[in-house]
Amino acid sequence: MSWIARLRGMLNRQRLDRELDEELRSHVEMRTADNLAAGMSPEDARFAAQKRFGNFTLLKEDTRAVDIIGWLDECARDFRYALRMLKRSPGFTAVAVLTLALGIGANSAIFSVVDAILLRPLPYPEPERLVRIWESSAKYDSPRNVVNPLNFLDWRDHSQSFESMAAISGAMTNLSFHGQPVALQGMQVSPEFFSILRVPPLLGRTFSAADGVAGQDHVVILSYELWQRQYGANPKIIDAKIDVDAVPFTVIGVMPGGFSFPKIKSEVWTPLPLARTAEWKEGRYLTVVARLKQGVSLSQAQQDMQRVANFTAQARPDNNKYWSANVFPMLEDVTQGVRRPLWVLLASVSFLLLIACANVANLLLMRGTARLRELAVRSALGAARSRIVRQLFVESLLLSLAGMAAGLLLAQLGLRSLLALIPQNAPLPRSEPIAMDFRVLLFTFLASLLTAVAFGLVPALRLSRVDLQSALKHGTLRSGVGGHQALRRSFVVAEVSLALLLSVGAGLMLRSFARLISVDPGFSPEHLLTMHIWTSPARYFDNLKRSQYFDRMLTEIRATPGVRAAGSTHFLPLKRMFSGSCFSPADQPASSPSDWPSAQFLIISSGYLQTMSTALLSGRDFDDRDRFSSQPVAMVNHAFVERFYSGQSVLGKQLRVCWTMEKPVEIVGVVADARQAQLQDTPEPTIFLSNSQAPMYFATLVVRAAGDPGPIARSAEAAIHRVDPEQAVSDIQTMETVFSDSVSSPRFQAVLLMMFAGLAVALATIGVYGVVSYSISQRANEIGIRIALGARSANVVRLVLREALTLAVIALLLGLAGALALSRVLESLLFEVTPTDPITLASACFIVLAVSALAAVLPARRAMRIDPIVALRYE
Amino acid sequence: MLRPKNDLLQGTLALLVLKTLARGPHHGYGITLHIQMVSKDILRVEEGSLYPALHRMEQDGWVSAEWGVSENNRRARYYRLTFRGRKQLAEEEKNWERLTEAVAQVLQFV
Repeated sequence: MSWIARLRGMLNRQRLDRELDEELRSHVEMRTADNLAAGMSPEDARFAAQKRFGNFTLLKEDTRAVDIIGWLDECARDFRYALRMLKRSPGFTAVAVLTLALGIGANSAIFSVVDAILLRPLPYPEPERLVRIWESSAKYDSPRNVVNPLNFLDWRDHSQSFESMAAISGAMTNLSFHGQPVALQGMQVSPEFFSILRVPPLLGRTFSAADGVAGQDHVVILSYELWQRQYGANPKIIDAKIDVDAVPFTVIGVMPGGFSFPKIKSEVWTPLPLARTAEWKEGRYLTVVARLKQGVSLSQAQQDMQRVANFTAQARPDNNKYWSANVFPMLEDVTQGVRRPLWVLLASVSFLLLIACANVANLLLMRGTARLRELAVRSALGAARSRIVRQLFVESLLLSLAGMAAGLLLAQLGLRSLLALIPQNAPLPRSEPIAMDFRVLLFTFLASLLTAVAFGLVPALRLSRVDLQSALKHGTLRSGVGGHQALRRSFVVAEVSLALLLSVGAGLMLRSFARLISVDPGFSPEHLLTMHIWTSPARYFDNLKRSQYFDRMLTEIRATPGVRAAGSTHFLPLKRMFSGSCFSPADQPASSPSDWPSAQFLIISSGYLQTMSTALLSGRDFDDRDRFSSQPVAMVNHAFVERFYSGQSVLGKQLRVCWTMEKPVEIVGVVADARQAQLQDTPEPTIFLSNSQAPMYFATLVVRAAGDPGPIARSAEAAIHRVDPEQAVSDIQTMETVFSDSVSSPRFQAVLLMMFAGLAVALATIGVYGVVSYSISQRANEIGIRIALGARSANVVRLVLREALTLAVIALLLGLAGALALSRVLESLLFEVTPTDPITLASACFIVLAVSALAAVLPARRAMRIDPIVALRYE
Repeated sequence: MLRPKNDLLQGTLALLVLKTLARGPHHGYGITLHIQMVSKDILRVEEGSLYPALHRMEQDGWVSAEWGVSENNRRARYYRLTFRGRKQLAEEEKNWERLTEAVAQVLQFV
């Protein structure tokens, strides 16, 4: 017997088994009774009966095999019959399959995204024990703050819940290939990193504790992709020396293909030497990952970390007062922020599938009515009701499976265009590929089965219950099915209200997106080119040398033809990056820095503001007077003046800034507010420091071109190489691309929801059209009589429209109630739009009403043309 | 499919069962008793063949089955000849006659 038969047999086995058992047992008992009556002793009687009966089990097996084959045969017959029926009405089949394909395909495509990002476990052994640990501060409203290195060392040494803990500092790394400098995304990690993730290297080894000691840390691990691309997959790469940021490093390992860490597309790993004497020991800049000990729960770990954080707060109150620590499961942590939008999309697309189901259910009911005679005949010939239900259900199943096949094709196409909406260098939480794989196929298959139940079961039960005899007797099929119209109306009401719900969601997203992109960012992104520079600490360790290096690069770029202005900033706007620092007015007595207020800070060059077209409100910009050794200066933004000086003049005031503590800085200018981390964030109080006085190792250069910024990329890069031929330049993008990428996620949501809402409204329109036109055909003679009695066209049209609009209004009320109930879900995804935004609600209602009315127009015209004579003769 | 075709024994058993049921509904045990009795103990129907055969005939629509209560108050599964079963019986009887006639002719041929 084939495996299908066995499977089917299993499904039906219990019932068959029970019946068969009972039948055979009664046989034995009857013979026993006869034997008794013939005068045997009870034991002999039983024994003889059993002996005569033979091998009970074998007999049972044989008989059961017959039963299962029969059941299978019946199924095959049902399928063949269903196939014939569907072939006989190709129009119906095509519409139903297409509707289902849209619903199933959209679900399958969205699910593949949800699965790849949210559901799939992280690609490391025992991923549920991986956590990320952040510093947290209620004072600064920051539950996930990067970590101070001294605190990390205390965490690692004093916590008890973790097998081990590693610190990560993402950084660009300059490598050199054939004399060509290339900047790659790298990660500096403390040696425990690889053992926490438990991923062994493909070649060589990963870091050992000794690699984390300063002075012995000139070792590097390469990604598989880099090894393939730049080193020709040569296994002799192990122990070879390569220049990393202009310093020779020994290659000790190559990671396997596809190895990655969420959110950082790293190709190079170097050790992160951490010592309590390190530079920057006041700052917070580390990401921390850890593996929980076996059997330790998250809340235990959280308590443990709070204990350790109390300790660090007491040990170094200046830096740690008001700070604690938070532990999050790693998967939850890396998907934070995308979870809600993705679930909203999946929920929306499942609404779409429900609408498709309602539509197909109505089609089935309508067709079922036309098939009533066939069903009546079958029933009269002795088919049981369960048989007819099964028959109808098998047809639904076939429709659904065909819908699934077509849907998978649509999903494949849809997924491709969906992924094209995601910018290439977006920091996706997961780097595993999003594709239609086995899990997605399984989901789609289950969804299709469920779909078949959803749209097939109610019509099947309903149709099989119809009084078949009267249907046969009357010859006309109108009687006996009146009840279906009520059922069909409620399906239509359900789908219209779901369509309204989706329209409201899409409308809100669209309005929110429109608000977002019309925000004035405080700079003008047109004609701007941006490029990232990471200087090698080995060659530009000296602060003065580095600041002069940046100045020379900018001077050289400004002299390039086609360049209007150029400047630099350490964090480009709209890249979700900002830095914060505590500060205090220098004229106030110095308290502990932990009690000082904090502000964002930005290190910019002279000319940056002019390049970005950000207005200077008073005072002056940084200029040639501000040298490395001259009086440190600062500018502040309007928000800073408002918040900390209540709008009074701040020029000439002095600030102590935690970031550069050597000398107080003097405020020389006030700058208009601009958006920094993202468009959504209102401008925070910000202190600007001069790149000539406090240069970082990295900066983003911004270059304003006279025309199209694309063509000057090459000449700007050439200008940089005239200053230092070994300087790598990376992330060359126009500011408009940066701008567009920064809103890609709300755009993604808005575009998809608009699409779903559009499909939903289209399907609902078809649904309304179907119900209204069917009801017109049912009432043809009533309308005929009305016309014969002198009803005017307008009256007839009103009759039809009233039916459509009654349905629509009920649906609107339900849909609005649903929209209000679900409003909280969307709240956090919206920008400057409330989820109950009256304009959105009103326009969604208007669209749905208008479309419903439109759906009634064709049936209304048909009703107007009803010839009373024909209509009456028909009856 | 597993179903053997043109199996003489199978065919004969079906004929006997159908013929028995032509008198009225019977359970499996009753069928064996009836055949044994009428054939004066010459034909003994083995349970091992009877039940698979009955279930097969049920699927082919020759007989229908339902639960009932036997003469001595036991729940038993009763088989009843259907319209198709009746047609099948007529067919099988004709086949049987043709077969026995043919065998007889072969035996009489000297």
